[in-house]
This record gives sequence, C-alpha cells and structure tokens, in this order.
Amino acid sequence: MKPQWRWFLAGAGLALLLAVLAMIFMAYQMPGLLLDWTNLSYCG
Amino acid sequence: MNANTNSASWRTPLIILTVGCVILTLSMGVRHTAGLFLQPMTMDHGWSRETFSFAIALQNLVWGLASPFAGALADRHGAGRTVVGAAVLYVIGLVLMSQAASPLAFDLSAGVLIGLGLSGTTFAVIMGVIGRHTTPEKRSLALGIASAGGSFGQFAVLPIGQALITAYGWQSALVLLACGVGLIAPLAYAMADGHKPAAGGGQSIAQALHEAGGQKSFHYLFWGYFVCGFQTAFIMLHLPSFLVDGGLTANVGMTAVALIGLFNIFGSFLFGWAGGRGSKKDLLVVIYAVRAVAILIFMLVPLSTASAWIFAAVMGILWLGTVPLTNGLVAQIFGLRYMSMLTGIVFLGHQLGSFLGAWLGGRIFDQTGSYDMAWIIAIVLSVLAALCSWPINEKPLARQAAVA
Repeated sequence: MKPQWRWFLAGAGLALLLAVLAMIFMAYQMPGLLLDWTNLSYCG
Repeated sequence: MNANTNSASWRTPLIILTVGCVILTLSMGVRHTAGLFLQPMTMDHGWSRETFSFAIALQNLVWGLASPFAGALADRHGAGRTVVGAAVLYVIGLVLMSQAASPLAFDLSAGVLIGLGLSGTTFAVIMGVIGRHTTPEKRSLALGIASAGGSFGQFAVLPIGQALITAYGWQSALVLLACGVGLIAPLAYAMADGHKPAAGGGQSIAQALHEAGGQKSFHYLFWGYFVCGFQTAFIMLHLPSFLVDGGLTANVGMTAVALIGLFNIFGSFLFGWAGGRGSKKDLLVVIYAVRAVAILIFMLVPLSTASAWIFAAVMGILWLGTVPLTNGLVAQIFGLRYMSMLTGIVFLGHQLGSFLGAWLGGRIFDQTGSYDMAWIIAIVLSVLAALCSWPINEKPLARQAAVA
C-alpha cells in the first residue's frame, strides 16, 4: 500500500472513531439515561 | 490444545490485539450497565436498593478473588479455554439474573456467576495473551490499546443498555446483553494460546508465587492498584450525588460521567504508549500525584459546572492509565510465564480498594452528612500511592534475565 493511502485511511479511521465517540457522548443526554443516572451512583 | 499448533499464521499479534479489544469491550461494557437495572428490578420485585447493591458489591469481590485463579488457569491450560468457560458462566449469569425471583438467586446469578465470568474475560487473562504475543518494545502500547478497548466498552455500552431497557424492558434487555457476551466464546478461539514463553520456563506456580511475594515491588504494585480502585469506585459512584448536593443539576452529573468515560479511552491509550517509551513506574508516580493535586484543586475551587467537567476530564485521562502500566510492569519484572496469574493477584488489590471506596464513601456521607472526609482520604491515599510507586524496581528479576 502506498504511504499516501495509508495516511488517508488512518485519517479516515480516526475521523470515523471521533464521530462515533461524539455520537455516543450525545447519547448520554438521552432522557431515559438521565432519569436513571442515580442508579449509577449505586453500582458504577 | 497445543500452543504451537494453535499459533497458526492467521493468529498474528494484530489479530490477537483486535480480538482482545473486542472481548474487553463486550465484557467490561455489559458489566458497566448493571446500575441501569437497579430501578426497574427493585421496583418489579419489591426489593430494597441494598439488596441490589449487595449483589453488585459481591460481584466485584468475586471478580477480584477469582482473577488470580482465572489467570493461573490461563497460564497453565491456555487462555482460550479459560475465556470460553468464563464467557459461558457470564451468559448463564445474565440469563438467570433476568429470571431471578429471590435475593438469593439474584446474589448467585448477578453476584457469583457474573463475577466469575468477569474474572476470565477481562484484564488479567486478556492482557496476558496480548503480552505474550507482543515484543517488549511494543508491549506497553498494545496493553494500552487493549485497556482503551475496555474503556470504550464502558463508555459505549451504557447508552446501548439504556436504549434496550427502554425498547424491550429490563428482562429482555438482559437476555440481549447475554447474547452480546455470548459472542466472546467464538472470539476466544483467536486467544487460544498454549504458548509457553522461554522466560521462567521451568518455574512452577508455587515458585512464581513465592518469588513474587518476596519482592517489594510486587507489594508496591498491589497497594498502588488498591488506591486506584478506591479512587475510581468512590468517584464513579459518588461524584454525581456530590455534584447534585452542591446545587448542580442531574444533567451535569451525567455529563461528568460521560466525560470520564470519553477521556478514559484516550488516557488508557496515552499511558500505554508513554509506558513503552519511558519509565512505567515514573508514569504511575505521575498519575497518582496528579490525581491528588486534581482532587485538592477540585475541593478548593468553588463548585461549578465548569469545574465539575474539567475535573471529570482530568480524572478520565488518569482513570485506567494505570492498567497498561501496572500490567506492563508485572510482565517486565516477573516475565510472561505467569503474567495472567500475577496480574490477577494485583487486580485483587484493585477490587478490594473498589469495594472499600464504594462502601466507605456512602458510610462517611451517612455519618457526617458530607463527602469531605472521603475526598481527604482519596488525596492522602493518592500521595501514598505515588510514594509507594517511586521505589519500584523495574529491572527484570535475575532469574528471568538468566533464563532469557
């Protein structure tokens, strides 16, 4: 694989990972999870 | 199963690392959702919150107590078999948990069976396989990536678990999560190594235990990890309550938990990478010292949304950075032959600390009406852990060097 393709794929993978992490982070704002936040304080 | 035959060409270090990450993501992630079931289960069964939290506390203790044995099994009979057996127990535990009608049945399923399942599908066993299949130069980075996989699981599976409960109810959600954990069994095929590293080749389990027990560095690692467990359990369990008590909203508490999870992924990777380039014990000193400073500053500055989120992000970076460093040091000092068993013993220290941190935090709050004393204990312990990590001798033992 040519070096420039390797860098492109690595960059694309990193961008995808960051997008997934951002989406998961947003999911922490979902009402159901918010309502149940107290449960975490018992069980981690 | 013979290791050498099992070490097929497709079972490359990259494959083993990738599969190890997926296993840790599933195992650690599903375990992290336990708290979500507290409210629906206690309401449906008419149990107290204490009944529920006792089973989870039991799970953490069983996880810690069984880890050295799971590690020894993996070291002696191969990690693949150990992971499969543990995954089966984990699945049975989740399914029985969904059907548990009495506190005793709940303790046995959610507490004992899942605790046993966790001991064979998490760090001690998986890190041992990854450690054995990577070169010393790349080992710390590989352990950091695997640790980040577990961190990713904790971060990602929590909202998935909530979505499943909302969509299908808590009983079906548990069965669906069990299906997810069931994927670990076939994945374990990639972890099937009966690989026997040269270093420590002729050593028995008893000799390895005797040798490790006679080394001060092993004790320092154990107690450092104890402090890590104390702090992470206390903060994860009690930080949201602390923030709300301080006048912030539940939303801020939830975002703080998410920030810890998010930054934990990067921190695990970062310290694994750094451990391959510098002194691991110096990095442990840095982690424990910065934790002490971060908690102290958090206590001294007025509580606000910004201070809570900054604190959560800083603690997130330092959260599981200790895992690749501690496990890497065990491999570096004592060799790879009994790495899983020895890291399992050190992990027991972590779980004892977790138990104490979770319990003592609540106890102190009930007795004094505030968390102040618990925060002070966390700071003092952090300083002690930093001091404790400083004299660790990173050099491989003479026996290991001679065999190698």
